[in-house]
Amino acid sequence: MAVGDLVLTGLMAVLLVGIIALLTRIENWRSYTPLAGGGTATGEDAAVLNREKPAGIIRWLTTVDHKDIGLLYGLYGIIAFAVGGIMAMLIRVQLIAPGGAILGANAYNSILTSHGITMLFLFGTPIIAAFANYFIPLLIGADDMAFPRINAIAFWLLPPAALLIWAGFFLAPVTENMIEPAQTAWTMYTPLSVEQANPGVDLMLLGLHLSGVAATMGAINFIATVFTERGEDVSWANLDIFSWTILTQSALILFAFPLLGSAIVMLLMDRNLQTTFFAVEGGGPLLWQHLFWFFGHPEVYILVLPPMGLVSLILPKFSGRKLFGFKFVVYSTLAIGVLSFGVWAHHMFSTGMDPRLRASFMAVSLAIAIPSAVKTFNWITTMWNGRLRLATPMLFCIGFVANFIIGGVTGVFLASIPVDLVLHDTYYVVGHFHYVVMGAIGFAVFAGIYYWFPVFTGRMYQRTLGKAHFWLSMIGTNLTFFAMLALGYLGMPRRYATYEFDGAIAPLAQVSTFHLLATVGAFILLVGQLIFVWNLLQSWLEGPKIEDGDPWNLERDGMLDKEWEWYDRKLETAITDGGEDEEQSALTDGGKPKSDD
Amino acid sequence: MGLFGFEKETLLDLTVNAIPLGILLFFIAAFAVVSPFGLDPVFSGLQFSLMISMFLLLAVLTYYAGRAVEDAEQAEEAAEIAESDAKAESLEDGTETTDDEAEPEGDDELPEA
Repeated sequence: MAVGDLVLTGLMAVLLVGIIALLTRIENWRSYTPLAGGGTATGEDAAVLNREKPAGIIRWLTTVDHKDIGLLYGLYGIIAFAVGGIMAMLIRVQLIAPGGAILGANAYNSILTSHGITMLFLFGTPIIAAFANYFIPLLIGADDMAFPRINAIAFWLLPPAALLIWAGFFLAPVTENMIEPAQTAWTMYTPLSVEQANPGVDLMLLGLHLSGVAATMGAINFIATVFTERGEDVSWANLDIFSWTILTQSALILFAFPLLGSAIVMLLMDRNLQTTFFAVEGGGPLLWQHLFWFFGHPEVYILVLPPMGLVSLILPKFSGRKLFGFKFVVYSTLAIGVLSFGVWAHHMFSTGMDPRLRASFMAVSLAIAIPSAVKTFNWITTMWNGRLRLATPMLFCIGFVANFIIGGVTGVFLASIPVDLVLHDTYYVVGHFHYVVMGAIGFAVFAGIYYWFPVFTGRMYQRTLGKAHFWLSMIGTNLTFFAMLALGYLGMPRRYATYEFDGAIAPLAQVSTFHLLATVGAFILLVGQLIFVWNLLQSWLEGPKIEDGDPWNLERDGMLDKEWEWYDRKLETAITDGGEDEEQSALTDGGKPKSDD
Repeated sequence: MGLFGFEKETLLDLTVNAIPLGILLFFIAAFAVVSPFGLDPVFSGLQFSLMISMFLLLAVLTYYAGRAVEDAEQAEEAAEIAESDAKAESLEDGTETTDDEAEPEGDDELPEA
């Protein structure tokens, strides 16, 4: 028996080594490597080898090139977005029926918890890092990040972090539910999170800690890069808006994430070493909420500032005008950065904290609304009387502004203590922050992906599919999350797996109708995202090739940024063989139409 | 030379942060005048220190950011002026090639003036 096991293990080892060896020998991973090698954007000439980097999967495992790491972050973010999105769909399907349609209460809680953590920590932060890694060095004229290896380490901490966070889902079937997914909600409030004996919670906390370490390393790198690696012609006066927002975001990460790490370690010790940081006889459960939200509210701005930077960068390009009040946007970004550390307890208005303290948090929360509103007016004024080109990136930017207004204004209401006491822990709050995280942050990410798609892939995406993606996302987002605002007004509490309450307490029929509407909206969103992924993949493989470094015709308005100039140089050096014509089956979006000669 | 040594243009840009500072100031004053929950050394202390610290931090960061941007702008302008001066100088040098011995010193009058 033991010998049989040994032989089997040996065979398995040989097989695995063989697979790895095979993978390392595959040279054409549809990489864009050509650079100076003379190949084409997606490596049609499979024999071309880039001498600067090893071929095959080894390249991706060992790369310290900021662009490669950016693409890895992007792939990681999109996979996490898909996982988190499937979880969201399960939540929405469950809530079609008041009694719950498909899941038990524990499974629902697991999925709800993981949906939040996945979207915020495994999609939100990494997808922003994807853009930042790829474009910050290009935009500021640096050769690479200040610390390329730390950059790679920061990324490679993320896959184990995701495995730990999702560990319960993999381990529950094989351990007969000894280890389950965490059911703490993403806020991990004590005493619930201390008293759940499930080891899956510990694994999730370790994963979260790891992702925090990764984010902090990345932030240090960005700060060092923007401060020390700027090109000679880039000063504080002409630093681009995206770099400003990434710099502010990195400062927020630097101050916020180590605190989350410490709080997580304290929670782990409470769970496993019987310390009493968050026990009633020790620091008390409210201590967790204070520590968590001292991290958690800056986290909101960590997620939203760079997308604001993306929109501030992209929207003027399709308006034919420079960003109105550029410096306003810069200073208000910095203001948000500072004030975000003084608003955390507005998440805790209903905890019974001292009313005087509560009032001061309300004051700072109302003050922080101004810088965000300033930006909104700047975006609108930039478009005013501009020569608008409604290409897909622009549509997503306009969608961002529209959704951000709804998400922002609902937030101002919540900042007011009396309103918050009524709406706290209802779907109104869920609707509010989803308008921001999906309607704004998600939309800005899509705008960034479409805008720079030619740089990433050397090809253009398909216009019709891009527009379908936008309209389905816009309608889906507003249907789903507006229904949630209405549900909040009707008194529907958040986080519940079922809602079979007495019709005398709240109008059950209306509540289930709005839940149904939200689910219909979620399905529309799902269809939109499927189209997005299809467009991304098909266009990457077969889209029409980009032939000059200005696919958006930005030179006309004098808005060709450094990253496009870099791309143009890359194209010039890459096309040495006078590339062969290819059948153009897809439509380009905006820019210069290809002449049919 | 305007307020805090900023140029008028920069001051105008910085007004964007004067608004949240004003809101904070309003609430600091309002809570100092009207305190419906009474005054308590610990909680009122925390209440005011939160608002005042946010006010100070925002004011300091706004000042230094404005300083950095304005200094960079001035350096750029100075560089541009120096460049155009140098161009003009070389042009002059090119046209007046005969008495080039005395010219450089004659041109170099800015520091002394």
